[in-house]
Amino acid sequence: MWRDIILAFRHRAELFNPLIFFTMVIVLFPFAFGSDIGLLNRVMPGTIWITALLATNLSLEGIFRSDFDDGSIEQIILSGYPLTLLVIAKITAHWCLTGLPLIIIAMFTAFLLSFPEHVLQTLFFTLLLGTPVLSLIGAVAVALTIGLRSGGMLLSLIILPLYMPILIFAMLAVENKMAGMSVDAELYFLSGMLVLAMTLAPLATASSLRIRMS
Amino acid sequence: MKPLNTTYNNAGKATGESGFEVSGLECIRQDIILFQDISFKLQSGDLLQVDGVNGSGKSSLIRILAGLMQPSAGEISWRGRNISECRYQYQKEMSYIGHLNGVKNTLTADENLEIMKALSGSPQSIPLSEVLAKLELGGMDGITLNRLSAGQKRRVGLARLLVTNSKIWLLDEPFTSLDSSGKSVIEQLIVEHSLQGGITVFSTHQPVEIEGCSIRHIHLGKK
Repeated sequence: MWRDIILAFRHRAELFNPLIFFTMVIVLFPFAFGSDIGLLNRVMPGTIWITALLATNLSLEGIFRSDFDDGSIEQIILSGYPLTLLVIAKITAHWCLTGLPLIIIAMFTAFLLSFPEHVLQTLFFTLLLGTPVLSLIGAVAVALTIGLRSGGMLLSLIILPLYMPILIFAMLAVENKMAGMSVDAELYFLSGMLVLAMTLAPLATASSLRIRMS
Repeated sequence: MKPLNTTYNNAGKATGESGFEVSGLECIRQDIILFQDISFKLQSGDLLQVDGVNGSGKSSLIRILAGLMQPSAGEISWRGRNISECRYQYQKEMSYIGHLNGVKNTLTADENLEIMKALSGSPQSIPLSEVLAKLELGGMDGITLNRLSAGQKRRVGLARLLVTNSKIWLLDEPFTSLDSSGKSVIEQLIVEHSLQGGITVFSTHQPVEIEGCSIRHIHLGKK
């Protein structure tokens, strides 16, 4: 069941575009700011996170867009399984296909830019906890805006403010780590957001989809 | 064409409980009353054709019957229970084919049928190759749907009916973009379904040649 959905996603070239976008933007920054390691080390975590937000934003429509266009979404709603479960499967697939590779690319580029190792570790944890939240919150907004003519723009306007708390806590964690302080509080906060999003977002997505289809 | 060996979860003939009952259905869209006070009762083996001009609410009626849309008023019950109360159970026994085929263009016919089967949750096992052969879609291994014609895609979409093995078929314009042989294949399927005790509601504005069972009609729009 889950495999089918992942399979359906795997067949799309457009999946790679956000990832390439992500890599490109991160690579562009050192060109813009020069090779001052001290400056780069301060700017790059934020860059990586903002780019991750934008790349996720780009890829979000893919969760339901093609299903909406070809009518699969009707069949998914009418299947004999609870819609919330199927939505969870779709969001998981989305995260595996964007969030996960994004983390790997981020780690790789940060490594290339000779990031201090202990900060790299914190960055990794913030991304690991944060990107699933991005997919989860994003799914709700996509389900709400799907099929609207100017849906893409509206989607960004709805989503980006909602992403702010995650960005704030992720950045706090990285900054604290750089200053040599504990990051437990921030990571717990991010975990809390993840748990909250995991519990509520699939339900909200499922009901938004039902509303959009009627 | 030999009939497929299908068995339904509840193969018994209609009793008072097992029917599909619609009462006082009303649909209002954009402040226009599309239809009101529609009532009918369908038992095992019944066939209902929804007629009406464009915009008379045929699709809306079928979407409401499928549970995709809420009616403005009225009630739909299946086996004596309102369909919103037993949503998943109803959905397991019902197949809806709308204007859109609900198939993935980037997958092959086989892969699409696999997904349909997984989604339907039906344990039955008609070999998928048999389904494809029945719809004259054989010999297309490895060809993704975006390289097939509109009629062939429609056939893959309609293959859902055979894969899911449900008792109620709700078909919105099933004959769109099918050629005459495709149309007669589907007509044949509907007849077989009806003879096996299934219920079919379909809308079309093409003349239908269905022999062997009687069709009831419902007219929407101005008379």
